[in-house]
Amino acid sequence: MYSEEIEKELKKQNIEPGDEIKLISKKGEFKGTLMPRPELGDNSILVIKLENGYNIGIKFEKGSKIEKIKSKSIESPKTISIKHKKELPDIGLIYTGGTIGSKIDYKSGGVFMLTKPEELLAEVPELEGIANIDLNPLMSVASEDMTFVEWQKIAKAVADALKKNRGVVITHGTDTMHYTSAALSFMLNGLNAPVVMTGSQRSSDRGSSDAFMNLICSAHLASKSDIAEVVICMHESSSDTYCSAIRGTKARKMHTSRRDAFKPINNKPIARISREGSIEYTSNYRKVESEKKELKLLIGYEPKVALVKAYPNSDPLIIDYYLSKGYKGIIIEGTGLGHTPVSTQNPDYSWLKRVENAVDSGMIIGITSQCLYGRVNPNVYRNLRLLSNAGAIYCEDMLPEVAYVKLGFLLGNYKKEEAEKLLNVNLAGEITERSEADWFI
Amino acid sequence: MKHEKEYYEKLGFKCGLEIHQRLLTTEKLFCSCNAINEGKKTGMKVERMQRAVVGETGELDKATGFESMKGRRFIYNVYDISSCLVELDEEPPHKINEEALNISYLIAATFNCNIPDEIEVMRKEVVDGSDPSAFQRTMLIGYGGSLDINGRKINIPSIFLEEESSGIEESNNEKVVYNINRLGIPLVEIDTDPEIKDPSEAKEVAMRIGLLIRLTGKVQRGIGTIRQDVNISIKDGARVEIKGFQDLDSMDEVIENEVERQLKLIEISKELRERHAEVGKAIDATSIFLNTESRIIKNAIKDNGVVFAVKLSGFKGLIGKEINPDRRLGSEISDYVKAVGIGGIIHSDEDLKGYGISEKEIRELSIKLGLEANDGFMLIAGEKEKVEKAMPLAIYRAEYAIKGVPKETRSIDAKKNITKFMRPLPGSSRMYPETDERPILADHELYEKLKKEAPNIDELEKRLNKEIGNRQIVEQLIRSQKLHDYLYISEKIKGEHQLIASILLQKMKELKREGFDVDSIGNDTLICIFKKYMDKKITKQAFEPILKALPKDCKEVERIIEEKGLQRISGSELEKILKEEISKYGNDKGKIIAGVMSRYRFNIDGEEMNKEIDILTK
Repeated sequence: MYSEEIEKELKKQNIEPGDEIKLISKKGEFKGTLMPRPELGDNSILVIKLENGYNIGIKFEKGSKIEKIKSKSIESPKTISIKHKKELPDIGLIYTGGTIGSKIDYKSGGVFMLTKPEELLAEVPELEGIANIDLNPLMSVASEDMTFVEWQKIAKAVADALKKNRGVVITHGTDTMHYTSAALSFMLNGLNAPVVMTGSQRSSDRGSSDAFMNLICSAHLASKSDIAEVVICMHESSSDTYCSAIRGTKARKMHTSRRDAFKPINNKPIARISREGSIEYTSNYRKVESEKKELKLLIGYEPKVALVKAYPNSDPLIIDYYLSKGYKGIIIEGTGLGHTPVSTQNPDYSWLKRVENAVDSGMIIGITSQCLYGRVNPNVYRNLRLLSNAGAIYCEDMLPEVAYVKLGFLLGNYKKEEAEKLLNVNLAGEITERSEADWFI
Repeated sequence: MKHEKEYYEKLGFKCGLEIHQRLLTTEKLFCSCNAINEGKKTGMKVERMQRAVVGETGELDKATGFESMKGRRFIYNVYDISSCLVELDEEPPHKINEEALNISYLIAATFNCNIPDEIEVMRKEVVDGSDPSAFQRTMLIGYGGSLDINGRKINIPSIFLEEESSGIEESNNEKVVYNINRLGIPLVEIDTDPEIKDPSEAKEVAMRIGLLIRLTGKVQRGIGTIRQDVNISIKDGARVEIKGFQDLDSMDEVIENEVERQLKLIEISKELRERHAEVGKAIDATSIFLNTESRIIKNAIKDNGVVFAVKLSGFKGLIGKEINPDRRLGSEISDYVKAVGIGGIIHSDEDLKGYGISEKEIRELSIKLGLEANDGFMLIAGEKEKVEKAMPLAIYRAEYAIKGVPKETRSIDAKKNITKFMRPLPGSSRMYPETDERPILADHELYEKLKKEAPNIDELEKRLNKEIGNRQIVEQLIRSQKLHDYLYISEKIKGEHQLIASILLQKMKELKREGFDVDSIGNDTLICIFKKYMDKKITKQAFEPILKALPKDCKEVERIIEEKGLQRISGSELEKILKEEISKYGNDKGKIIAGVMSRYRFNIDGEEMNKEIDILTK
């Protein structure tokens, strides 16, 4: 919004952003399109898109005059009509939001999400040659705003889509995509089709966006592969050559901005997919079985679980806090092999008593490592044994975020005793038995 | 110049310039990479595809659409100190480089511009791959400026601060390899209004703008650091942007040839319209050429290639009409199809037998196309996929020949000083806001201060007139690339200004023409030679042999003086020599001088000698 003074003047002249205007001020005469005021910056400055395409900011001062030249022309939105092609496989495309379907928001100066995925499809005509796309514009939620409620909705939408299609692609914001992929891996029990999550690190309004290739590779994967798992399919490297499919319970966003931000941790990619659509399988995976298996939706979720990091000087009373708030479980991201401070000089820093107390009060405490790579171990050191004896469950080579999602899932669908038992048992590829030598950076 | 001013006035000649100059900053515009040192390749290469996306206004720009249609892969060489994730479009831009911003203010002040209250960083879409992000960051820094030249005011409507693009290492139809080390170096673009009246004025304005920005002392020097683009149109013609002048000497000739080209195209279009010319649809004529003797077609169709033909009704004789030295309408059409990797077109105004195309093939083609007396045709042969892409381009260009001159961005053929098609002229729909940067509040206080520091030609001219005392030399100096050397040297020498100017402008030029690489002599070495002269260690005549020996530093200057015996002879030593000559020739001054100079040409100062002779022969 512009300043009150400007808004008043605009109203008087019946001018709206998008109209062609002329501004006459001490600085000169400026003809162009009035742009909406970016939320940042000085709101007494008018932003005008000049005929040469550049935006210019000119202060609206006393004596300035603004005239309307022409009202904005209303564009007819681009639509596409999709014809069903018999020779192509059918896949579902569930749109949930994120950079992959975003455009510029002139109000905030940032990127905003498209609510019409058709627009995105119009930008990626290649998809038409890969599969018949069954579009579901489910929601438009930024990755950072996702909660378990959205996970549940997406899981249901996937189940619906799989009734009619051989595979599903889900577009999603990248920041928390690996939480959602883990949640879906657990919720879609008995999955017998490829469910491919994808997103982009560069918004699709720019020619260099990774959205196009990510979407194309994902569509290939959903329409051709026999992977019966939830995977994340994004750039394998900084180049637009291959995407990799990473197991949904072993993927993690490891870079704030690069295209190849997603990496498998304690795992290898399942496949690499070329831009042209060839798929090369690179490790074992659960295969689609010809006999139709029943997909069971386990969408219960216990939101009262927390992910807590242990670090030098950290206050163990955080556990008491969660306990007092009625939390049912905590995943601790410990150091190294799964340590928290336990034998500190100053007993106030020791987590041991707090963990013991929490477990005795009925909480489930799981231990993972902030190393991310490698497996936790309850035996190697005395301090580890102490924590383990206090009742904490060591979660093998499970990622902290995955353990966190899993704990909520378990508590939402099973009795506590069962949940406790299943936490460090592999359900959906989140725990491996062997740590292979080439799984590290 | 071929023609007078009036000639261009009658043609409705309009011309404006865009001057691009790299700024001298330690860091790049939107990251902390080294902007001065080129750095080394790390060996890492990144491959990308780019596509045109619909811009802010919802329109797909013609130029960007054209580039993306080529479907080429772009490969970027990564550098150590001069590239990071920002250049690779893998990290958002950092905060704008204040140093660059301030230099751009100074340049805006030099051209008497106003600056906006708020600077809005924009993205200008570029799909030729020269930027991994597929856009260039650019912003309007100054507007409403002007330049006085020869009593005329040339308006400078806008000055932009923007990012330099990547340099091309290798380019073919499948891929382009770019070096990203120079990408993102700050650059200013200075535009003039299209009010330049003739080709020689264009050259003069370009030189003046170049001079003024260099006078700020805050810009990079050397090859590639300044580039000039020229926009030209004539009445009934079209606006054409000629990109990338590096050599100002040929600017006027290139412009003259472009005007000639447009005039010829206008003539052709008039004739075509009188003939009610039409361009037909493409048909597959491969079957006619299955057993052809034409090597060019045989090669093109050997791997399942095709030959497509189009009837050009009423075009006969005009496709082959010369529009520039060795260039025809046919060459213009060929340039369009080259963009998609086809070598060119074959057309009916060419010597088809020279291509090995037989009478029979021509006859069959005529029947197939239904050609009549005034009709022509064009053929495109090659891989089916490429030909299918090329044909619509060729048809578009041929149809435009009926309408007139297409709006285009054109490159320079430096050998022939003519222009060639690069891509359609971009419109304004390829700009949208850079949302990763906040708008910048302009610093008006700083700007007012910089206005006082901005270089001023009038004052410089006054100063030079006073120093040198020769209007003609001053005028020459101001137009010359040597001005900077003059300013540098005269600041250290304090005196003998006219000598400095004439050595730089005349002597050095003369020696260069004779083949001596005198430009390799550094300014500090020149200063050393001038100092020797002022200290009366050498004479004016000694400059030439010293310069010819191309000294690298002061030590070498001393060695050359020693070895060649160039020390100045004066005072009692001179007196002794003169007395000897006087004893031979008496009072015959001419003979005395000739005698002395035959032996001591480089060592004796003429003025001193004259005075001494006068005293001695009194």
